[in-house]
Amino acid sequence: MLEINRIDVYYGDLQAIWDVSLSIPEGEMVTLIGANGAGKSTVLKTIVGWLRPARGTIRFDGLRLDNQPTWKVVEKGICLVPEGRGLFHGMTVLENLEMGAFIPRARKAESEAIKKIFEVFPILKGRRNQPAETLSGGEQQMLAIGRGLMSQPRLMLLDEVSLGLAPLITENIFEVIKQINKSGVTVCFVEQNAVLALELASLAYVFEGGRIVKQGEAKALRKDKGIQDAYLGTE
Amino acid sequence: MTPDFVAQILAYGIIMGALYGLASVGFTLVFGVMRVLNVAHGAFMMIGGYLSFWGFTLYHIDPFVSLLLVGPSLFLIGLIFYIVQVFPVIKFTDDHDKINTSLLISFGLSVVLENVALLLWTGDIRSITGTYTENVFEIFKIRIPLVGIVGIGLAVLFVFALYLFLIKTRFGKSIRATAADWKAASLMGINTNRVYLISFALGVALAGIAGTLICVIHSIDPYIGLFWTLKGMIIITVAGVGNIRGVLACGLLLGIVESLSVFIAGASYREVAGLIILVIVLMVKPKGLFTTKVRGV
Repeated sequence: MLEINRIDVYYGDLQAIWDVSLSIPEGEMVTLIGANGAGKSTVLKTIVGWLRPARGTIRFDGLRLDNQPTWKVVEKGICLVPEGRGLFHGMTVLENLEMGAFIPRARKAESEAIKKIFEVFPILKGRRNQPAETLSGGEQQMLAIGRGLMSQPRLMLLDEVSLGLAPLITENIFEVIKQINKSGVTVCFVEQNAVLALELASLAYVFEGGRIVKQGEAKALRKDKGIQDAYLGTE
Repeated sequence: MTPDFVAQILAYGIIMGALYGLASVGFTLVFGVMRVLNVAHGAFMMIGGYLSFWGFTLYHIDPFVSLLLVGPSLFLIGLIFYIVQVFPVIKFTDDHDKINTSLLISFGLSVVLENVALLLWTGDIRSITGTYTENVFEIFKIRIPLVGIVGIGLAVLFVFALYLFLIKTRFGKSIRATAADWKAASLMGINTNRVYLISFALGVALAGIAGTLICVIHSIDPYIGLFWTLKGMIIITVAGVGNIRGVLACGLLLGIVESLSVFIAGASYREVAGLIILVIVLMVKPKGLFTTKVRGV
């Protein structure tokens, strides 16, 4: 579904990722794991169009994505739940969700989508007229995910969903993400919590220093000795 | 110092204040949405005023009718200047850089516009006076010029039209979202470049409309740009950046205070009133009088 082929991405003059190739098959739950600064988020930002690869290509269903502006990428069916959530402070929960249904394709399904999101995240329904910034961290994350869903995405990208959240809340949220994946949305999530990531994902890519050092089925990587030593804390 | 006298001062203050509000609304829109400080805002007002002047003297177009021409023309001019001058500045991601660079570029632009006006219309002071511009109503012993009433009406009309546009329409909401967080807005599928383009052009169009009003109520010459830009800067700072209705309210406040200060301290101290308000607000509520927790308009 999404093919990234040998991309190099720079922040100004600073190279962040080298020769990265990965593929996200339709329907799968893919995770990008690795230490802080390893380049995982950079990949998501490049997919969505905030950054342009200096070399290499990104294709979505065969069509070039790396030369498209962000709004076109979203129209094509990719959404990003960014690190830090990117909520519109000053707008209410409901207004944030409505903003998520901005593209024409999503506009038609707006009221249905809002209903569904309130079913999945009942807390949001209770707080729907509150300004987004008054929500707790976990609630804000739910809102960010709900808002992403409003655009009727085929591929949902999530950047560091667990950041700053209590383990129980993180579990709940990832349960929901699993449900989203089961309902047909392809998911690719960046996660520092490697244990959690490998438990939930079907495929995984391990990043180190801006390159992919290991990849494969999550099941297999869980048992991989190198991964266990570096990320899973078994000793 | 009779009550009638005070009422008269207030009346003039309100008329002036409404004009200040209208003149500053476009300025705050542009700065609020894209952090671009368009110092040429006053110069665009001047151009709008001159276009109305042309329409009136060459073709006898009523100045208030000419708004239908001035608005779209300045909108078009705004589009062109955005593409040529502002778009490169938007690329800067740091707000600080954006403000500094846009300050420099728009200052140069204002000088160019001044000289274009000088060429086309000479340095003579121009004004639009016609059959009804001299009409004055007398209500409760207060003399109110007709054009003053129309001016207040137009200011309120345009400010609230802009406000409703930003709150109710889809595109208006996308402008607010982009102003709040352009990256997040892009993730909603909003074409942020188009938002910037339209917002800038809208700001310039509003400047032109205010310019027409100035030409009718007062007068224009090629150098009024700086005066109005400075007034605009004071008002948007006092109101709080991006607050549309707040700008009208603060414009009125400034107009009334200036009017009173002229009576109390004399005409030469009129400008001081605004500066004193600015300093007080910056000391007491630096974010502006009308900024609430809810960021928006």
